[in-house]
Amino acid sequence: MTIVELRDVRKVYPLGKVEVEAVKSVSFGLEKGDFVSIAGPSGSGKTTILNMIGCVDRPTSGSVVINDHATKDLKDKELTTLRHETLGFIFQSFNLIPVLDVRENIEFPLLLGRERVPKKEKAQWIDYLIEEVGLSQWRDHKPNELSGGQRQRVAIARALVTKPEIVLADEPTANLDSSTGEQILELMKKINREMETTFIFSTHDAKIVGLADHVIRLRDGAVIENVRNGKNMAATVSDLMENSVHEGPSATSSQSAPKAGS
Amino acid sequence: MPVLLRIAFRNLLEHKAKSLIIGVLLALGVVILVVGNSFMDTAAKGVKDTFIGNYTGDIFVSGKAKSPISLFGVQSMGGMDATPVIPDYDKVLARLQSEPGVRLTTGQVTGYALFSPKDSDNQGFAMLFGVDPTSYYKTFNGFTVLQGKLLQPGDDGIVMTQSYLDRMKKDQSWAPKLGDTLLLTGMSQAGFKIRAVTLDGIVRTRNDSDATSFISWVNVDTARILQGLTLGSDEETPVTPAQKALLSATDEDALFGAPTVIESSKKTLAAEVAKVEKPAAPRPVSIADEGAWNFLLARSASEAAARSAIADLNLYFAKEGIDAQAADWKTAAGPFAKSIDVIRIVFNVAIIIVAIVAVIIMMNTLVISVIERTGEIGTMRALGAQKGFVRKMFLTETLAIAVVFGLIGLLLSFGVIGIIQAAHIKAGNGFLQILFAGDVLKLAVKPVSVAMSLVLVALVAVLAHLYPVSLALKVEPVRAMQTE
Repeated sequence: MTIVELRDVRKVYPLGKVEVEAVKSVSFGLEKGDFVSIAGPSGSGKTTILNMIGCVDRPTSGSVVINDHATKDLKDKELTTLRHETLGFIFQSFNLIPVLDVRENIEFPLLLGRERVPKKEKAQWIDYLIEEVGLSQWRDHKPNELSGGQRQRVAIARALVTKPEIVLADEPTANLDSSTGEQILELMKKINREMETTFIFSTHDAKIVGLADHVIRLRDGAVIENVRNGKNMAATVSDLMENSVHEGPSATSSQSAPKAGS
Repeated sequence: MPVLLRIAFRNLLEHKAKSLIIGVLLALGVVILVVGNSFMDTAAKGVKDTFIGNYTGDIFVSGKAKSPISLFGVQSMGGMDATPVIPDYDKVLARLQSEPGVRLTTGQVTGYALFSPKDSDNQGFAMLFGVDPTSYYKTFNGFTVLQGKLLQPGDDGIVMTQSYLDRMKKDQSWAPKLGDTLLLTGMSQAGFKIRAVTLDGIVRTRNDSDATSFISWVNVDTARILQGLTLGSDEETPVTPAQKALLSATDEDALFGAPTVIESSKKTLAAEVAKVEKPAAPRPVSIADEGAWNFLLARSASEAAARSAIADLNLYFAKEGIDAQAADWKTAAGPFAKSIDVIRIVFNVAIIIVAIVAVIIMMNTLVISVIERTGEIGTMRALGAQKGFVRKMFLTETLAIAVVFGLIGLLLSFGVIGIIQAAHIKAGNGFLQILFAGDVLKLAVKPVSVAMSLVLVALVAVLAHLYPVSLALKVEPVRAMQTE
């Protein structure tokens, strides 16, 4: 079942007097329950595509359909509701609310919806998520008292708290050391299997692309490869690894580049 | 605790410097408002109590004049307009007394006079309140007799205040003493009038102040005569055509050339000789016009009753075509009440300026806060927070800071008021004595003023947050995806 569909999507950003085409007529579909990697070097358009799937940005032309909702026709309020009900976000910089502790950060999205979850049920669910991400001992700590990996675990739990069908993760391991990054990816993969949540993550790290069921490779705003369920996966990963060796380590390069082109 | 309040209070603690800047401004605002308002309230109450209890009553009825009229006369540019008398006085008095809530009434004639002892060049100035002692002392009972007695009906006496005599002694090294005969010289449109009176009493009024100490009380007839309110003063003298021709003559021939005039003079001379041969009749003196009153003053059971009576009386005057007007104590107190209004206006203007400055400073501080929290706002929006949530979040933070520092400001205000009370600040002059309602400043804190001050400060805070929140609402959720 296709849960995300991009049809001939273009995104153009004005940059001074010129226009930069960050995404060039991209079309693809993503299946429910997949662990999807949008891979490519800095400036290839990964974040822009992720933003459009996440309903935080709109395409210049073409359409993005999320769970049968064409985002183009939705107003800000409807898009916000769609984000709240259907999507979960894991950010590269974790983006936790600094004044809330671990438990409160995880609970936060539940407080934004119209639907009221019974208190006991809510508490049990949050406790389960805290345990699932291994932060039981840190539940009362503020984000500034946690390590990067712990913060990203909080972000994962927060992304899952509303039981979204899709979780978007923008370079979730970029600000983590490699071993923590692997742990985070394994955690995401585990949840993907257990909860059948669709995970879509962007990365330029070839090592973690290997975990994906579905890899979409981008270059200069266009899809250069769309591989699913093991077909040509080995070649894709090997190709990516080769490219990343040439590019060198650049954990945050896609973020430091102008947003328009990342 | 609701999440918005939790976020609000924790953000206040998290951003201590900004919270402190805004909070100090708000607390300072509360201190200025509460202390200033309590001073204003004290002054307003002081002036009101002093004037209602001592001079004006609750209801003030006067004739109409082109310029504003008060108990002290007509406030015209040249200062020479005669104070009108109340037309149809008996009718007006009957109507006033029939008003519900009106308890006591009395009339008054106001005038000015110079006074001097019989055989001395010393001189003083007095504002004369001509009263009917019987009804006046029932209406205004704040007099303490220090020497002598209060006015008695029919006496040619004068009652003066101790504070005025003290001041005269200090300034002029002379002051009248109890029992002295004083010559009062009044000036009106009918010319100068002189009356001899005895200083019968020296008094102190309730909340006595130098500013009103120059008021002296005389029997109403004395005041009427000094003001030219005498019988016949405004009657026309009949003149024959021959007398008219004589009055309009311009040269000696016209005066003495015509035989008729000489004839007439002979006749007049004969009549004068006949008069001298008869016993002389007593020379007529000025007789006061007993119906002439400048003002009617009434004490009312309550402020509401006074307001209602004033409205009713004015309707009645309009309906009956009576050229009179009814007003409250403020109109009667004239410049004294206006001075309070002026002080309040100055205070309010100062408050508005302070509020504008506070709004600008707070706005800038909040704008910086919004800019710093752009990522956080974007994250919230990305996670599904509607714009309304962001608006509420900033409003809650603003109100939280307003309430916390408003209460701190309130405590500080009480502290400042306590210090002022303990300092026993003395009134340096008569005007301050009226404002302080006595010799020492005693600030009264009205709960309504305190509540209004807090509301005003909260409003300032809400006003200051509008622009920053409009910026916050413009933060797109995509900002969450951008690394700081």
